[in-house]
Amino acid sequence: MYDAPNLAESKVTQDNIKIAARKVQVYYDDNHAIKDVDVDILDNTVTAFIGPSGCGKSTFLRCINRMNDTIDICRVEGDILLDGQDIYDKRVDPVQLRAKVGMVFQKPNPFPKSIYDNVAYGPRIHGLARTKADLDEIVEKSLRRAALWNEAKDRLDQPGTGLSGGQQQRLCIARAVATAPEVLLMDEPCSALDPIATAQVEELIDELRQDYSVVIVTHSMQQAARVSQKTAFFHLGNLVEYGDTGTIFTNPEDERTESYITGRIG
Amino acid sequence: MTDHSATPPSSIASSGSALMKKRNRHQKVLQGLGIAAISFAALMLFILISSLVSTGYKAFYQTHIQLEVFIDPEQISADNLQRGNFDDVLLDSLKVYFPDVEGRANLRKLESILSNGAQFKLRDRVQADPSLIGETVTVNVPVSDDYDQLAKGMVDRDSPANQRKLSDIQIGWFDTLDEAGAITQPINWALLTNADSRFPELAGLKGALVGSFWALLVCFLISFPLGIGAAIYLEEFAPKNKWSDLIEVNINNLAAVPSVVFGLLALAVFIGWFGMPRSAPLVGGMTLALMTMPTIIIATRAALKAVPPSIREAALGVGASKHQVVFGHVLPLAMPGILTGTIIGLAQALGETAPLLLIGMNAFITSAPDSPLDSATALPTQIFIWADSPERGFVSRTSAAILVLLTFLIAMNAIAIYLRSKFERKW
Repeated sequence: MYDAPNLAESKVTQDNIKIAARKVQVYYDDNHAIKDVDVDILDNTVTAFIGPSGCGKSTFLRCINRMNDTIDICRVEGDILLDGQDIYDKRVDPVQLRAKVGMVFQKPNPFPKSIYDNVAYGPRIHGLARTKADLDEIVEKSLRRAALWNEAKDRLDQPGTGLSGGQQQRLCIARAVATAPEVLLMDEPCSALDPIATAQVEELIDELRQDYSVVIVTHSMQQAARVSQKTAFFHLGNLVEYGDTGTIFTNPEDERTESYITGRIG
Repeated sequence: MTDHSATPPSSIASSGSALMKKRNRHQKVLQGLGIAAISFAALMLFILISSLVSTGYKAFYQTHIQLEVFIDPEQISADNLQRGNFDDVLLDSLKVYFPDVEGRANLRKLESILSNGAQFKLRDRVQADPSLIGETVTVNVPVSDDYDQLAKGMVDRDSPANQRKLSDIQIGWFDTLDEAGAITQPINWALLTNADSRFPELAGLKGALVGSFWALLVCFLISFPLGIGAAIYLEEFAPKNKWSDLIEVNINNLAAVPSVVFGLLALAVFIGWFGMPRSAPLVGGMTLALMTMPTIIIATRAALKAVPPSIREAALGVGASKHQVVFGHVLPLAMPGILTGTIIGLAQALGETAPLLLIGMNAFITSAPDSPLDSATALPTQIFIWADSPERGFVSRTSAAILVLLTFLIAMNAIAIYLRSKFERKW
């Protein structure tokens, strides 16, 4: 949203494919956690990763912004292209990558700082705002984007940890969008929230699709069906099936997908 | 089953089965043992403190004698105050009470009622104001240790005269002075404002307090930045391999090394090789820093580990670099734990004796150090020196010094607890 021309250009050149993964392998020491995953993630689309616990969906998600780099024993092979550029290339700085590929975590994890500072932290460290007024604008835009502005505008200087769980998660979304990312990764963003807060966040995810490519890991198949246009089913480290959400849920090709969706495995 | 209304259902009744009884008995035994252990510890603490207080409180007041002294211009001239016969002047004022005491030996005995420091106290006063020469002034000086003990009831008047330091005549002199109202027992501020002395009535802790302050300051300035730096590197940046494991094992061992070993190391390296001064708080502080550093490293690493990983992920997720994560988020959150560990480490260092003995901080030094390079003692070594001294007055002073040391230790630990509760964050 802050570099719209770039975004438009990438749409044209990349045929709407935002992230392309080819033969991705992930190892934790000797444990082969992700096997031969090929997937094309589209722009302006919500893509859901579903699958039983330990199937590797979160691991794969964390490859997309190189969060796995922080785990010593983790090794990633294969190619992941963001707008045609290999993100595991030596010249790519993971710190810059993470500004372009924002992430929202399972448990709301605001910094123990004020609401304003939570949102302003990313823009500050990346030098996105020249003046205080610029920064104020980014904070307001981001909070509006995360549907939190009306609740937070009068208490920007109060600690982010004082918000309710659902508000904290939206604050984390505001913090992620403040660095003007192109992709938003969400790792079970609603698993720690009550049903009302979940509904708010899901509504928000649908809106975020207009500006970002959203990838969401979820344990709830209803949630995947509600928010996503594309769904990928992972099982034991393999990407079993990937396609339109409607197709996956109504007419899966693979037996394992059907078993999972109907509740026989997982 | 027929009288449900009278008794509760047996399945949840507390009397219950044999198994329930056994479980309850185990619970009670365990609780009893716990309470017994705590009571024992509390009793021991009570015995320690009460024995210290019961012997130490006598050092917090000091027997003084008040004399009207005529500063005789024939004995003392303004031109040569250093050579002035202040002791004779004081003796003259004592003789007023005992006109019939004669003979050199008896007069010397009479004079020994006064502390050896009395003449110097009077000299300093006249030096400050030479116009006092020829005047009569009221002086208030400590009595010597033997009479101080007598006044504090530490001398058994009924014991045979050859088992006492004071003869019946000397005790009589003291009683005469006491009846005349010349004896007072004010609070003994000299305990804190005087440096060490051979004479218990003049000995104080100032030198030890200042020495301990310098040593702790040096210790803090070295061990705090080095310890935190080492801990941050090991915890956050160092690769996890056998080398870092080896370093970790060694640091943990270092924290358990007997302190006397650090003293030997300091003696060999700081004093032997580097030629640094003996008995100096600078060297003492460096030695204590060697001991405190492992404690700080371990406490800092534990505090860094306790910061929830979600905070690290949050910062990494918005594109913070490793050092921004550590210095912007993790370290501030770990600070209360780090400070607590540091203060407890410094409190340990404050009470440490053995390494200071080896680098000569148990020397007899009668003035407080002006800088960390001057010779000095520290509180624990001062206690050591006094505990070793034969004069009766040092017995109570040793206990009093221990109480002073304990006061500082309790204060430091209280600060640590305060910091921990004040800056503890919820997330």
